[in-house]
Amino acid sequence: MRITSLSKRIIRRIGLLILVMFILSLVVFFLARLAPGDPLQSFYGDQLDSMTQEEIDAARVRLGLNDGLVQQYIRWFTNALHGEFGISLKHKQPVMNVVKPLIGNTLLLGVLAYAAVFGLATVLAVFCVLHEERFLDRLICRIGTVFYYTPGFWLGVVLVLIFAVNLGWFPSSGAYDIGMKNDLGNRVSHLVLPLFVMIASHLWYYAYMIRNKLLDEVRKDYVLLAKSKGCTRRQIVWKHCLRNVAPTIVSIMAISIPHVTGGTVVVESVFSYPGIGNLAVEAAKYHDYNLLMVDVLITGFAVFVSSFIAQTINEEIDPRMKEMETIQW
Amino acid sequence: MVETTLERTSDFEIVGAGWRHHEPKEQTPTLRQRLKGKPILAAVILLVIVLGCIFAPYIANHDPAKYYYDATSLAPNGEYYFGTDSLGRDLFSIMFYGGRSSLTIGVLGAAVVALLGITYGTLSGTASDRVDSLLMRIMELFGAIPGILLILIITAVFPAGNVISMSLVVGITGWFGLARIVRGEVRQIRNTEYVLYARSIGGKFFYVMRRHLVPNFLSAIMFVVVSSVSSCITTESTLSFLGLGLPLDVLSWGSMLSLANRALILNTWWVIIIPGLFLVITLLCITDLGNYLRKETNRKSSNL
Repeated sequence: MRITSLSKRIIRRIGLLILVMFILSLVVFFLARLAPGDPLQSFYGDQLDSMTQEEIDAARVRLGLNDGLVQQYIRWFTNALHGEFGISLKHKQPVMNVVKPLIGNTLLLGVLAYAAVFGLATVLAVFCVLHEERFLDRLICRIGTVFYYTPGFWLGVVLVLIFAVNLGWFPSSGAYDIGMKNDLGNRVSHLVLPLFVMIASHLWYYAYMIRNKLLDEVRKDYVLLAKSKGCTRRQIVWKHCLRNVAPTIVSIMAISIPHVTGGTVVVESVFSYPGIGNLAVEAAKYHDYNLLMVDVLITGFAVFVSSFIAQTINEEIDPRMKEMETIQW
Repeated sequence: MVETTLERTSDFEIVGAGWRHHEPKEQTPTLRQRLKGKPILAAVILLVIVLGCIFAPYIANHDPAKYYYDATSLAPNGEYYFGTDSLGRDLFSIMFYGGRSSLTIGVLGAAVVALLGITYGTLSGTASDRVDSLLMRIMELFGAIPGILLILIITAVFPAGNVISMSLVVGITGWFGLARIVRGEVRQIRNTEYVLYARSIGGKFFYVMRRHLVPNFLSAIMFVVVSSVSSCITTESTLSFLGLGLPLDVLSWGSMLSLANRALILNTWWVIIIPGLFLVITLLCITDLGNYLRKETNRKSSNL
């Protein structure tokens, strides 16, 4: 890739984003139409049995089910551009009305977890590097591996069993108690357990990656120079090594976005947290394709936008990235 | 012979006469030394679990599919070793029968992952630059959708009600990382003489892949393949827990845990803790074995 100006690259990325979203919507649409079951049946439910043949035919025409798949897609797409994604079959109201109030909750959980995971991962990695191959490092590696391989949902259920059911310290489900939406303390107490699960099941994966990168870094010659200048070990790792690893950390953060987002889906449904992840699981259970499609599109959009932003940031803080063969869209 | 010469010259002190050919005792490494650094504990525990699952009918002391209506939600006791769940099923028996499907899904899923990942990666690695970057972009597109959402779409469209379809679903969504690694490896060796030779004498794609490429990068990807066994088991149990995977009557560790929500209400810890512990221990053992296969890089000593 040639070195181009920032604005040009951003425009290129936006173009690619549109293309990617288009492809994603295509895939999701056709998958949903491949699904077994008559769309008419899911739209009308039991009413269908009492309808005459003419009424059914009229309904088919009205819903456009007699058109080809391509035509149906074009119609869906133009409606989607207006912000109309159809009706949720389970909730019997426009999909956007169902999704909108929940986005904030998921964003809160996701962003908090994301920030906490990478903040803690960096600190943990530096700590391990400073104690390389000593007892504490090994202990942290061991505990980290155990937490990483513990399925998130099980950890969540166990935590609910201990802290909500038996000790009663934290509530077991929801984002806030009824009528306490703006009560900060109440919301925080609902967030503690989900956040803990999110952090525990993602932290070590990234801490380990950063740790390994740092371990390679402390073997370079400039570390000797810094040491002979009289820098302490902490100073060397924090001020010199970590800065050199920073672009890698940003790359890892970019790649990790889908992973962490996926984590919210599981955590939300364990804690019945009203977010779009939980909604997606419900939609999949009830074969509510319109809802599922929108859910996937929103999540996909968020993931792509944030990874593009991360890439752009990366190229700004480390000009070498522009020339490197990285993941380019 | 030697003795006679020695006798004849016995008056003299011969320098080095006491010399004996030193035959070092053959250092047969003791069992302890040979096992050092190998994941013995993990292997043994895993073996016990696998054997337990294979010989489930001999171990189980109750019918795993039977509902004991007069014994619902019993804590572990002498009759039901791991207690019973809210439906009155014996957890001890289900544990081993359920392990069968969980382990099968792990292994089959990993096989699907390996097959797809290796084929796609090799294809992309050997293709021309343009096709290669197209294939990689397509893969990144799907890789960027959170795996669980991808699975939600697939299970909503094609419900995975049995072990085989579950393995397929789990495998189809898990091969992206492997394909990327394979592609990297293939691009390193695709221009070596033996691959060029094999291709120029008319070796077909799958022939070259099987005979020349796979044996070369197999050791590099073994770790990934083994750890995909554990990720497949995790995905299956997560899905079943969410109510999107195996139904309750198809016994697996995941479908056992799908009763966890009811167990929370009844506060019956054994329904949650025991299957989960089995699951986690199995996953950790598989990971340990996988880590052993990972090539250890020799690091020089730290400059810090």
